Amino acid sequence: MKSREQEYKEIFIAEALEYYDALNRLISELEKKPQDDQVLAEIFRMLHNLKANAKAIGYLQISDVSHKLETAFGLIRNKELSFSDEVVGVLFDGIDLLGELIKSIDSERQVEIDPVLIRNLDIIVDSLSDSTVELAKVQKFSTSRNLTLSDLIYIQVKKLDHLMNLVGELIIDRDRILSLSRELDNDELKSVSSHLYRITEELQYSVMDARLVSIGTLFNKFPRVVRDISTAEKKEIDLELSGQDIQIDRNILQIMTDSLLHLMRNAITHGIEKPEQRAKAGKPKAGSLQLSARSDRESVIISLSDDGKGIDIEKVKKAAVARQLVPADVADGLPDSDVYSFLFEPGFSLAKEVTEFSGRGVGLDVVKNAIDSIGGRIRIESEKGKGTSFILQLPTSIAVKGALLFEIDSIFYAIPLIHTDSVVAMDKDELHEVGEVLVADIKGETVTVVYLDELLNVAESQMRLGDKTRLKGQVQNIIIVSYNNRKLGLIVDKLYRQQDIVVKPLSKPLDSIDIYGGVTLLGTGKVCLVLDVPAITKYFVNRR
Amino acid sequence: MKDKTNKKEGPSAAEAVAARPDNSAETAVDSAKESPAKPQAVKEEMIHLIVFKLGAEEYGIKIDQVKEVTVTPNVTRMPRTPDFIKGVANIRGDIIAIMNLEERFGIRSVPLASDVNPHITYTLVIEAKEYSIGVIVREVPQSLNLSMTKIDKTPSFLQDINIHENFIEGIAKVNNRLIIVLDMYKILTQDEIRELKNN
Repeated sequence: MKSREQEYKEIFIAEALEYYDALNRLISELEKKPQDDQVLAEIFRMLHNLKANAKAIGYLQISDVSHKLETAFGLIRNKELSFSDEVVGVLFDGIDLLGELIKSIDSERQVEIDPVLIRNLDIIVDSLSDSTVELAKVQKFSTSRNLTLSDLIYIQVKKLDHLMNLVGELIIDRDRILSLSRELDNDELKSVSSHLYRITEELQYSVMDARLVSIGTLFNKFPRVVRDISTAEKKEIDLELSGQDIQIDRNILQIMTDSLLHLMRNAITHGIEKPEQRAKAGKPKAGSLQLSARSDRESVIISLSDDGKGIDIEKVKKAAVARQLVPADVADGLPDSDVYSFLFEPGFSLAKEVTEFSGRGVGLDVVKNAIDSIGGRIRIESEKGKGTSFILQLPTSIAVKGALLFEIDSIFYAIPLIHTDSVVAMDKDELHEVGEVLVADIKGETVTVVYLDELLNVAESQMRLGDKTRLKGQVQNIIIVSYNNRKLGLIVDKLYRQQDIVVKPLSKPLDSIDIYGGVTLLGTGKVCLVLDVPAITKYFVNRR
Repeated sequence: MKDKTNKKEGPSAAEAVAARPDNSAETAVDSAKESPAKPQAVKEEMIHLIVFKLGAEEYGIKIDQVKEVTVTPNVTRMPRTPDFIKGVANIRGDIIAIMNLEERFGIRSVPLASDVNPHITYTLVIEAKEYSIGVIVREVPQSLNLSMTKIDKTPSFLQDINIHENFIEGIAKVNNRLIIVLDMYKILTQDEIRELKNN
């Protein structure tokens, strides 16, 4: 993995060279049409950007020369300097110098800046149009021009998406060939298919790698955002970033951008107290916000923690009861994690006032939906008076995911591993009929269990989810999934292996059926339906 | 599929006719559109239908809406979808929905003729604008060329039937057969999708 500095440097060089090429083109154009204001404005804009970028990353020579050129073009734009032959020569020299400086960043060679050239630039800038001062001849550095192309290319994300889809198709076919070669038991075919396996795997990782960006590309935008919000809210915030080097799929980061911004606003407006309140509570005047990222096996964990007032469990319970999400007597006994999950209900808000930045009814449900859409998870930890953390678990890549395969009523299904907690085998006698559902004690925790065959295949009017007699066999295989801080056991007929699958989205008109996240093809050529855990959980809750 | 490519790239009407004498009628349609210099090749506008049975009646779909006809592959049932969706199938790597039009339109199913194998069904892969869908039929679909003039586009009875009238493009009458010509594009529009969502 490249260091962040190296990455920034490469991006700067690529951009700067692009500006350099464009400047050369534009100034040649301007020489022919000196009156063209549009060309002039474009040159001005480019030099300005180049100056700012160079200054930000610390290439002072480049920013200095850009600044001088920018000033010169500014004068030309204001008609204070005429675009005469002499001036044109100096400007061309100046742009050439810029090019040399940019190219030298990546090489050992130091560019000697010709003092005469700098003096010439100063002369045209300082002495304005009435200048009669001689412009000295400048030694050309590049008499023979080398044409070079950039080492970096820009590519549309769309093209990478297409490439990823093709790789997905290829993996499906590869698995089919692999399974055929085993069936046919032909050694030559076996050796070719295992080679094919390795190559496609490498291809898959290369394409996935090409789509990765550092999380810093998003994180580094936050200091400014935090400053603006905290100023408006009259709060002091220390933002601490970590893990900017962690890599994640660009599209996943794109989808998470608004959600993180939303959580950030929430933390500042609702989480962190005003300085005077903090002082009373014995906390430092400035609130602390920590935005961090780390890798965890196949996922990336992003967490946002504040040291604010924390979530008032009782208030959430009251609001949930008021909105009839839960009966009052049940609410009292709920574990904290279940109570927090109410925060993700549409329109649920504890904010009393609407501010510029939050409390407009756009709630955490939007964040939750965004995370669901990419197959991630979100969790809240909070302690009253101490602070709140939002912990997001996101997949590193969209297309390929680990999944658990199983069978119900002779149909193959898969559930993405990110939603599975554990798998247990349990005797029928350990399942209990409580109310309209089955419950089981799983590792000391009482978990609702649902027979998937009943949930999926029995006519809705005859569905009896709390009836043990519907179960087949004595020992039940249960997959424990978790969604929105609550666990649910899914009883399946047969449990198979764990496998990396390529999820193909369902095409129309089936894409509107939300209990399926997509489909995949198994090595045998059989279609396997991928269940969407959030939607199945919701379907189950609504059924009950 | 082959027909389509030839249609677009066929060097001349004459050559195409020579290459595929069995399909001369269709080629004539093309020459009418593409080479007005040879109007003598055209007598009347023709239409090419894929004809199949639903219930006791014969239905037709214009060939350019049909991507392929295949023996129905293994269909994986999808729980919690409407009954007329039989499931999904893998057709050349694409996973498409398979539907039963008899159930979709509430057409009464009739017993099969004795010479039809009850274990094999056929799937017409219909290509709509954004996606494909499979339509199951029980007997081998046939291909039929007929003159456009044989199609009654606005039979008066269409006002009398209460549903699906938008889906019916016209009624073809050939040799004492009555063929209901469907517009699959319309069948696969918003209505269909809404119906699934409400389920």
